[in-house]
Amino acid sequence: MSEIDVKELQRIMGMLRSIDVGLMVLDEDFTIKVWNDFMTNHSGIRGEHVIGTNLFDRFNDLPEDWLRNKTRSVFQLNNSAFTTWEQRPYLFKFNNYRPITGTADFMYQNITFLPLSSADGTVDHIGVIVYDVTDVAVGRMALEQANEEIGKLRKSVSKKQS
Amino acid sequence: MPTKILITDDSSFARKQMTRALPSEWDVEVLNAADGKEAIDVLLKDAPKVMFLDLNMPVMDGYETLEAIIKQDIEVIVIVVSGDIQPLAVQRVTEMGALEFVKKPINKEELSEVLRAHAIFDLNAKVVAAKSTKALTTLVSETEKTDMQEGYQEIANVAMGRAADLLAKLLDSFVVMPIPLVNMIEVSELRMAIQQVDDNDMVSGVCQGFIGAGIAGEALLIFNEASFEDIADLMKYVGDIDESVQVELLMDIANVLIGACLKGIAEQLDISFSQGHPLVIGRHVKVDDLLSQNARRWTKTLTIEMGYKIEDKNISCDLLLLFTEDSIKPLDELVSYLID
Repeated sequence: MSEIDVKELQRIMGMLRSIDVGLMVLDEDFTIKVWNDFMTNHSGIRGEHVIGTNLFDRFNDLPEDWLRNKTRSVFQLNNSAFTTWEQRPYLFKFNNYRPITGTADFMYQNITFLPLSSADGTVDHIGVIVYDVTDVAVGRMALEQANEEIGKLRKSVSKKQS
Repeated sequence: MPTKILITDDSSFARKQMTRALPSEWDVEVLNAADGKEAIDVLLKDAPKVMFLDLNMPVMDGYETLEAIIKQDIEVIVIVVSGDIQPLAVQRVTEMGALEFVKKPINKEELSEVLRAHAIFDLNAKVVAAKSTKALTTLVSETEKTDMQEGYQEIANVAMGRAADLLAKLLDSFVVMPIPLVNMIEVSELRMAIQQVDDNDMVSGVCQGFIGAGIAGEALLIFNEASFEDIADLMKYVGDIDESVQVELLMDIANVLIGACLKGIAEQLDISFSQGHPLVIGRHVKVDDLLSQNARRWTKTLTIEMGYKIEDKNISCDLLLLFTEDSIKPLDELVSYLID
């Protein structure tokens, strides 16, 4: 690989490290292989302390059965899987990114699981992407609550009229 | 004397693809049929030696055709060429007397290998008759003009087959695949089409955007809520099927169907799509409401509609791929490469 390619790669790595979404790579035994700055900063655990360890040993409050179930189809079918905050508000219990002005107690997350295949085409790793969707979730829930209140008000108004 | 062969497929695009995949050194007279009923007529009248048979067809599908062949004791070598690649489909047609199963889109080398393996035609053996291109040229004029819609239809068919195969693996059941519908439709028609899908039942949906190579659109999975119990059963979920379990199931099915379908289309066109994050829409709402909120920004759309059913279960869902108006030109170009 030429020097330019290495520099280019370093820049890409730098971007991936500091991008504001969580990136994690797991192998078939759920050993953590990649852990970027987002994951470090929100979990408070540095990469060197998690890389090479088992995900469920390190984070024992994770929904193990659910996660194994969800990732099975990614490994077996070579097909991405997505989960939304509506389905499960979070995978990693991180604090809200805005601890002062935010209203949610934790970070709502959308998760993407990507199949990563080796040179021979078999899927032996998965990439996990953690998106912070707290603002969207809080907004949606506030809207639903407002709609509910409007509904109640309507009912009481029509009762009074009748 | 040329060998008579019969190609049975409802798509003229697929028949043409099949004809092109035949070894050019093979001296053949190609006969065509658009469904099983036509095929049986040709079999009785012209007695072709080899038949290439699609499974998904209107009027009389591949399975029914195989049944009729057995019943009427017709002597013909049947090679099934299908987009439905579920192991159970392969098993069924083999049990019904098909010699071989070849997956779509058909590949020249693979077909040659199949023909060689079963000693139907071997390029290296001395059975090769004088090279004849006559049969092929007459065929082209015989086949009606291949139209873009046929191309789309066939691409959708193959993609749908891949998705069905994955769904069958996930649920460990046989997925019944009807023929995908490809249409250019207006917003109002789309609403009507969906309305027909399910008029009374409550439905849930998931939509997911995709984009790549100048093509953009949305995949919309519409799921009949009556199906949840059976799905939960197949996926071995224990406990109550509450709201959160339903969303979970919906997402699992959506991941598989949308992912496999888009991948199937992208691979055939030699492009790749980025998928946005899926969105759960309209829980417990009437179908009409799913579209009414945001159907103002566009007027016309290319739609591919695929209905999936699980055999012997009360499970059905519809996958709609909606392409934007701007996507049609780049799509047409890509599909035309496949036709030429």
